[in-house]
Amino acid sequence: MAGKAGNTDANSVFKHETLTVNGIKTVVMTAGQGDPLVFFHGGGVFSGFDFALPWTERYKVYIPFHPGFGDSGDDPEIADMHDYVLHYLELFDQLKLERGLRLVGFSMGGWMAAEFAMEHRRRLHKLVLVAPAGLRVKEYPGTDLFRIPPEQVPAYLVHDLKVIERYLPKEPDADFLTARYREMTTIARFAWEHPYSQRLARWLHRINVPTLMVWGEQDRLVPHQQSASWAKLIAGAQVQTFKNAGHLVLDEKPEAVKAVADFLA
Amino acid sequence: MSALEDLKFYFFHFMPYVYLPPDYADHEKYPSMWVDFSNRLYDPVKGNELYRRYIGEMVMADKLGYDGVVVNEHHNTPYSMMASCTLIAAAIVPQTERAKICCWGVPINLEFPNRLAEEYAILDVMSGGRLEVAVPLGTGMEYWANPINPATARERMREAIEVMIQAWTADGPTTYTGKYFNYRYLNPWPRPLQKPHPKVYMVGVGSPETIDMAAEMGFGYSIVFIPVKAQLEVFRTFREKSAQHGHHLTSDDTPIGVFAYVAESDEQAEREFKPHLTYFFEDLIRTTPRYLAPPGYISTEQFKARAASGHDALHGHFDWDESVKHLRIVAGTPEHVANKIGQWAEEAQSSKIICHLHMGDMPRWKTVKNLTLFAEEVIPRLRGKQPVVTQHMAAANGQTLPAGAK
Repeated sequence: MAGKAGNTDANSVFKHETLTVNGIKTVVMTAGQGDPLVFFHGGGVFSGFDFALPWTERYKVYIPFHPGFGDSGDDPEIADMHDYVLHYLELFDQLKLERGLRLVGFSMGGWMAAEFAMEHRRRLHKLVLVAPAGLRVKEYPGTDLFRIPPEQVPAYLVHDLKVIERYLPKEPDADFLTARYREMTTIARFAWEHPYSQRLARWLHRINVPTLMVWGEQDRLVPHQQSASWAKLIAGAQVQTFKNAGHLVLDEKPEAVKAVADFLA
Repeated sequence: MSALEDLKFYFFHFMPYVYLPPDYADHEKYPSMWVDFSNRLYDPVKGNELYRRYIGEMVMADKLGYDGVVVNEHHNTPYSMMASCTLIAAAIVPQTERAKICCWGVPINLEFPNRLAEEYAILDVMSGGRLEVAVPLGTGMEYWANPINPATARERMREAIEVMIQAWTADGPTTYTGKYFNYRYLNPWPRPLQKPHPKVYMVGVGSPETIDMAAEMGFGYSIVFIPVKAQLEVFRTFREKSAQHGHHLTSDDTPIGVFAYVAESDEQAEREFKPHLTYFFEDLIRTTPRYLAPPGYISTEQFKARAASGHDALHGHFDWDESVKHLRIVAGTPEHVANKIGQWAEEAQSSKIICHLHMGDMPRWKTVKNLTLFAEEVIPRLRGKQPVVTQHMAAANGQTLPAGAK
């Protein structure tokens, strides 16, 4: 797929494995040794996974591309976040990841990880939600991604644009734009009508594994004040916020990446 | 009988709201006249004046002998004051006597299909069987304005059309079990007067999915605003595919649209027509690539082709000399206009001429003049006229055109 997470250091460290899950080509990046850490990426993969390299020194890191993103194939039948939960049950069976999972989800992947955790908490050892989307918080509403013109999106992602500049095309690039259109199409399949889930507020209380919330204080897409609502619903959840960081807090703050690794130990 | 002996002329009105702010042509301030063009700029008193005027022009077309009047609908835009074209049609029906009433039409995804089947049946019964409908997917812009998922729009439309046809043709109550719709008692009253149902067209810009659907379902295909060369190619594909599905098309299954203005001389016609056509193409249909293609509305392959070729030239740019080469635009004397339309009909093998005779901010006097001159001086020159080329073609092939081609 053109416009994939290219030009990144992580590409040379991670091994790319191709599996088939319920008929859909699914690419999983793996690197490192140790207990399994699975990362659910967010709604855009153009900036790659360089931030995750320190994790590979302590864990065996799995970064699967969700159907409809990056190197994985499209699944036009996906209509609901729950379809992704089922997709990952099958993928984890194939990868023999039965128990003791350290699950980290970012943004849309945080929403996905939360849904997975509230349905399959016994599989998890610990959970980290990084600027998760999906919860409807009336006082601090998230930005509807569909309302932002593509050229304005980068400014919504980071506090310091320099952090992602190297991943952005210098000039209008049809392949890059098409990759983003494909991602937005995938997200539209389950989130066009409601870019949030009513289910989260009703069932998040089921999550009974140690949970860490990580947020950038300058997040313009999902305001960090939403963390209070999450923490109220997930018993014992800790919250760590980082100054001078936007939505891509893991790319902007190495100390956030370290905080995740320490918490998962 | 020639395919083109029996040309029909349908007057299509877009009913735009034309009292825009003085800086409406500022592309930077208003990159789109759709979706987010603020409705605080709408003045209902002026709207009332325009509805009365435009509906009067539709009624006049019936009295002048046009074979049909055409309405359609769009949302969140001054391009069209017909946010519900069945409402406008209902206002026209009792004021007209002969003309077909063409709803071309409601994007079926924006309604429950049983309800649209009902609304259309009401219009067909009320008008004594004068209804024709077309089913558009709706522009990308409609999906920003309405809470319907663009990523599943085509699949949903297909089911919706099946429901509508079933509601019209099968004795109820019936059931329908689909991915998007489940009907336990599909049994709408009334049913249409025309049997098996009013004429149906798909509306499209030539996308393969729409052509396939129209061919498979045995509908006509109404094409909009793409270069004539591409239109002819689409018609060729459509005829082939329809034949593969066992549907024998007639020449009214592939209507063509013409932008026409008639005046005393070619120069005067062009002078009187041009500003309004410019207003239409540069301003009323101006929008952004993003609004044209909400997520999933087109395939990633189609998106890539668009992104690689740059901006869609139709939406916000107009050059008369360039446009007359690619679109069916004619301004001139009755003789000139009739000749041109005759050629276009012949070339497309289409007997149904959709006439865009009011464009943009055309004032009433020009609309009345154009409608009248076209009806009294152009239509008679074309009706019942056997195109010479067709005779030659038939003779060269040693055959006459199939009788079914009408």
